[in-house]
Amino acid sequence: MQRVIGGVLIMTATVGAGWVYCHDLKNYLGKMLYLRYVMSLVKGEIGYTHAPLPEVFLEVAGRIKQPYRAWLSGTARAVADRDEGSFARVWNRCADQYLKPLGLRHEHSVLIKEPGTFLGSLERETLDRTLMMYLNRLDLEIEKQREGLASRIRIGRCLGVMSGIFLIILLI
Amino acid sequence: MERRDLNHQILNILAKSVRKIIRDDGADMSRIQEIRMRTGQPLRVVKENRETVLPAAEQPHIVTKEELRETMDYISHYSLYAYADELRQGFLTIEGGHRVGVSGKVIVDQEKVKNIQYISSVNIRVSHEVIGCADSLLPFITKNRQVCHTLIISPPFCGKTTMIRDLIRQISDGNQYVKGCSVGVVDERSELGGCYLGIAQNHLGSRTDILDCCPKAEGMIMLIRSMSPQVIAVDEIGTSEDIHAIEYAMQCGCKLIASVHGLDLDEASRKPVLGELIRRRMFERYVVLGNGEHPGEIRGIYDERGSVLCRG
Repeated sequence: MQRVIGGVLIMTATVGAGWVYCHDLKNYLGKMLYLRYVMSLVKGEIGYTHAPLPEVFLEVAGRIKQPYRAWLSGTARAVADRDEGSFARVWNRCADQYLKPLGLRHEHSVLIKEPGTFLGSLERETLDRTLMMYLNRLDLEIEKQREGLASRIRIGRCLGVMSGIFLIILLI
Repeated sequence: MERRDLNHQILNILAKSVRKIIRDDGADMSRIQEIRMRTGQPLRVVKENRETVLPAAEQPHIVTKEELRETMDYISHYSLYAYADELRQGFLTIEGGHRVGVSGKVIVDQEKVKNIQYISSVNIRVSHEVIGCADSLLPFITKNRQVCHTLIISPPFCGKTTMIRDLIRQISDGNQYVKGCSVGVVDERSELGGCYLGIAQNHLGSRTDILDCCPKAEGMIMLIRSMSPQVIAVDEIGTSEDIHAIEYAMQCGCKLIASVHGLDLDEASRKPVLGELIRRRMFERYVVLGNGEHPGEIRGIYDERGSVLCRG
C-alpha cells in the first residue's frame, strides 16, 4: 500500500513539475505578447496625439495592467523630473526596476531596452517607421517563442510522466 | 511659492552643469529676463536689462554641444517630435509660458522650413507678466462698461503683447470700467496665453477661450462660429487675411482688440489694407505705445477721428 501511495506521490510531483514548466512557457509568451501590446499602444498614442513622452506614457499606463502600468508611470515621472541625463538611461533604469518581476531572459531584456535609443530623439515620420520596425522585431521574437512552444510543451509533459515512471521503477 | 515655482520651471530645463552655475549665482528668476546658451560661447544671462557672463566675466563657462543637447532634451521632455510645429517657427513654449528660441541648421522642404537640426543656440526668455499694466488704459477704451474696437500701435519691444494680455484679463474678469465678458483669443505664436499642453500659463481671465498656435484669420472665424465671443483679441496683425477677418468679426458684432507694429497712427494708416479700415473709422480707439522711460509707456490714445483723448 505504501508503495502505491509513494508511486502516486512521485508521479503527481513529476507530472506537476512538467505542468508548471509548460505553464511557465505559456506565461512567458503571454508576457511577450503583452509587451508588444504595450509598445503598440505607445506607438499609436505618439502617432495620434504627437504628445510628449510623459503624456504618452501616462495615457497608456492608464489602460494597461501591472507591472507594465508602474513601468510606464515610473518612466513618465523620471522623464518629467529631468534629472538623469539621456533618455536611454532613464528608459533602461525604469525597465530594470519595474520589469524585474517579469523575469525576462537576457536577450528579451535587451530588446525591451532598445526603444531607449530612439524614442523621442527622432522626428515624427522616422519615429513612426522605427517603432513599426521595432514592433516587427517583437513579432519575430514572439513567433520564435510560439514556434517551439507546442513541441516544448509536449516534451515537458512527456518528461514529467517519463521521469515519474523512471523514479518509481528506480525507487520502488 | 510663486518665485520657487518660477525658479523650478527654468532651472529644471537646463543641463545639470548649467543649472549648478546659475544656482550658485543665486538664481532668482524673477529678475532674470534671458538665459543665452550658444555652443562654444560663454553662458550669458540678462538680468534687469544688463547682460552678464556666468560664473564670472574673467572665467566664463563655455557652453558645450552636450550641454545644449541635454538642455534641448529637458526642454522637450525628450520628445522633439512633439514640438516639430513650434520648432519650425524657431521657438517653443514651456511650462510657465516661457519662450525658448532656438537656432541651428534649418531644413527646408519645398521652399518651406521643415525643421531645425543641429541646434547651436538656445535663448530662454523668462515670461514676466505685468498684472495691472493696462489699468490706466482701460478707462479710455471703454464706453458704458463696454469695450471699444481698439487698435494698439507700437514698435517692437514696447510691451504691446504684455499690454494686450492684461487687457484681455481685465475685460474677461470685468471691473469698474468694463463688464466681464467672454473673450476669444487667437494666439498664433503662443505669446498671449503662453499655452503649455493647451493650458494657458498666463492669467487671461476666467471668461477667456484660447485658440493656441492657430493662424489669426482662420482662428477669428473659428471662434465666432464656435465660441460666440463678445470680444476677440489678436496680437500683431499684418496680412490682408488678418485684416479681412477683423472686418468680418466687427460685422458679426464682436468687439476687436488688436495690435500692430508701427510708430504712430499716421504710419499705421499708411498700411495698405489696415489703412483702409482706419480711414473707414472701423476702430473706435487707437493706443500708441512707446519705450521712452519704460516698455509699455502710453504715448497717446486717440478716438476714431484721430482726436487725442490722452497723451503720455
